[in-house]
Amino acid sequence: MKYSLFTGDGLIPDNFVGLDNFVSLFTEKRYYSKFWNAFGNNIKFFFIVTIVQNVFGFLMAVLITRPFKGNKTVRKISFLPTTLSVLVVGYIFKLILNPYYGVFDNFLALIGLKEFILPWLGDPRTALPVVAFAVSWQFFGESVLFYTSGIDSIDRSIIEAAKIDGAGIWREMIHIILPSILPIVGIVTILIFIGDFTQFDIIFAMTGTRGDPSYSTDLFGSLFYRTAFASSERGGWGTGMGAAVATMMFIIVSMGVGGFLYFFSKKKEGYDK
Amino acid sequence: MNKAILFLLLLICTTTMVMSEGQKENSSNKVKLVFTSWRTEDIDRMNRINKTFTKQHPNIEIDFQPIKDTEYDAQLKQSLAAGTGADIIFLRSYDSGYQIYKTDSLIDLNKMIPELDSFPKAAVDAWSTPENIHYGIPAAGVVHGVYYRKSIFEKYNLPIPKTWNEFITICNTLQSKGETVFAQGTKDNWMLYEVIYSGLGANFYGGEEARQRLLSKEAHITDTNFLTAFEKINELKEFFPERFEGIDYVTMQQIFGTGNAAMFIGGSWEIGIFEDLGGLDDVGYFAPPVAEDGDLLQYCFHVDAGVAMNKNTKYPEEAKLYMTWLASPEFAQLYMNELPGFFSYTPGEYELTNKLAKEMESYVPGSEATVRTVWEKLSAQAPSGNELMGEAIQKMYAGELTPNEAAEYVDKGLSWYYE
Repeated sequence: MKYSLFTGDGLIPDNFVGLDNFVSLFTEKRYYSKFWNAFGNNIKFFFIVTIVQNVFGFLMAVLITRPFKGNKTVRKISFLPTTLSVLVVGYIFKLILNPYYGVFDNFLALIGLKEFILPWLGDPRTALPVVAFAVSWQFFGESVLFYTSGIDSIDRSIIEAAKIDGAGIWREMIHIILPSILPIVGIVTILIFIGDFTQFDIIFAMTGTRGDPSYSTDLFGSLFYRTAFASSERGGWGTGMGAAVATMMFIIVSMGVGGFLYFFSKKKEGYDK
Repeated sequence: MNKAILFLLLLICTTTMVMSEGQKENSSNKVKLVFTSWRTEDIDRMNRINKTFTKQHPNIEIDFQPIKDTEYDAQLKQSLAAGTGADIIFLRSYDSGYQIYKTDSLIDLNKMIPELDSFPKAAVDAWSTPENIHYGIPAAGVVHGVYYRKSIFEKYNLPIPKTWNEFITICNTLQSKGETVFAQGTKDNWMLYEVIYSGLGANFYGGEEARQRLLSKEAHITDTNFLTAFEKINELKEFFPERFEGIDYVTMQQIFGTGNAAMFIGGSWEIGIFEDLGGLDDVGYFAPPVAEDGDLLQYCFHVDAGVAMNKNTKYPEEAKLYMTWLASPEFAQLYMNELPGFFSYTPGEYELTNKLAKEMESYVPGSEATVRTVWEKLSAQAPSGNELMGEAIQKMYAGELTPNEAAEYVDKGLSWYYE
């Protein structure tokens, strides 16, 4: 944060400029166009990851907490990708989706969906959702783990009573499971939010620090890295401006976390009443 | 009792450490100079080169410690600021290197290396201040052109094209025969500007003379000559592989290197990569085709790497001795043999051992040398010319911009330069 108030050529900027870096960031098009682009991408990225991890993670957890043969194995398998490195996951997805020798396009052709084959990571319309899907796939198991532990801790007698009263699985989910594990939904959402707004590794591995193609996958993490550390020819803005970007990231993440905490505590209060 | 044992152990440890330090001092008066670079793939080759120097100066050992390309600039700045920077530094050309010089970390070479006066001025200028202080020895330049598969060209009896029309005719023939014409993809946009536009476009925009007009603000990238270059390179799009938008740099090297495409528009630094991928026996090279028969070839011979000396080195005398050797024809010859595709600026007579490198160099005498279009000065601040060109051409190949709109996109972004 201190460096965001300075400018200079070296890695440690030493010329004090007050809030000039922030003024430049929000008033000069060359800076704000990239900043708001990354912000917009981050919102889309967060939205996709939240849908996959929260909604599908919750449904998966409800499913595997039902008594059936092999539910423990499913739990273990769903957590396996989380143990991999983000870079490894990124490179694996990149290989699978490679338009020249990737297996995914061959698979689509094999099942007769040749017309749906696209340059997945080369098209600005598909690149960001694909990267978001890769992250969601990796951390899906984490959400499942949180939700299953929450569901397991619900008093079984409440669920049994609801069943006797004729509640189906849908009502059980909406009126018993969801209110009971709402704090966990909040925690998972906040973790996804923090992870997504500071995400760098997956972008580095799959689309590069320029957020190719055409900055369509540029997130705050890659924007900060490029602007703070790259040379001017490669998109660097100097360490002072990079620090200003990092400071804004910190402010946005803090406000977001505060907002989610407030939202989920109010929601919980509503249910408690 | 316990205290006595502890004291004894401490005494033994301390004595051993002091003695071992003393032995290090006595047993070797060797000085180790750390040499850093952004090319991690060069470790073995640079070590072999440096062995020759160490043979002549047994008391100086060169420790070549490259850092990953993408981390290099940041790491270099950080280490120099912290006083732990390498003694000898590979420096990028123009503004990147100049930014390092401005941190007051590099030594002035004007008096130290008088040989620089005999180097080509354009190369020395890439590592000089506006006040003509030289801070880097021009070590290597690279050229851009077209690699081709000899077997595929022979199969269809295709000649080496000299003009653009001949080039397009060959592309059409190869396409009609069902061959993958180019291995090119557009996922990594730096390649589109640095190699395709600067390399193949230079013959259309007028090479060095036109570039100088851009630098002096007399010309704009939207001028007809620069626009023609955009239009011409856009003609190649129809010969790119299917879903080229998703093909990255490494994949395109693999496609060509394994013999699955007839041509690859690339840089001379790729010789080693193709050698590793499938050998060079079937690989040929030709310079960017000229617009009309008889035109002078505008050859993009980009100033790529210079060598600088850390002002705060612990061993200034030894470092100076090594720097002098780096500016010698002996180093130049060793460097070009070990790293084919990198061409030295050091004056002298050289024998290149690599056939492809020889082929690339054979075009130099009959050409006008230039460097990448907007590398110098026009990329000194954000948004840099380099970035804008990469973005614009990527969008042009994706069909989002026409060549005219691509040129306007760059010109608009470069408004800071013309203010």
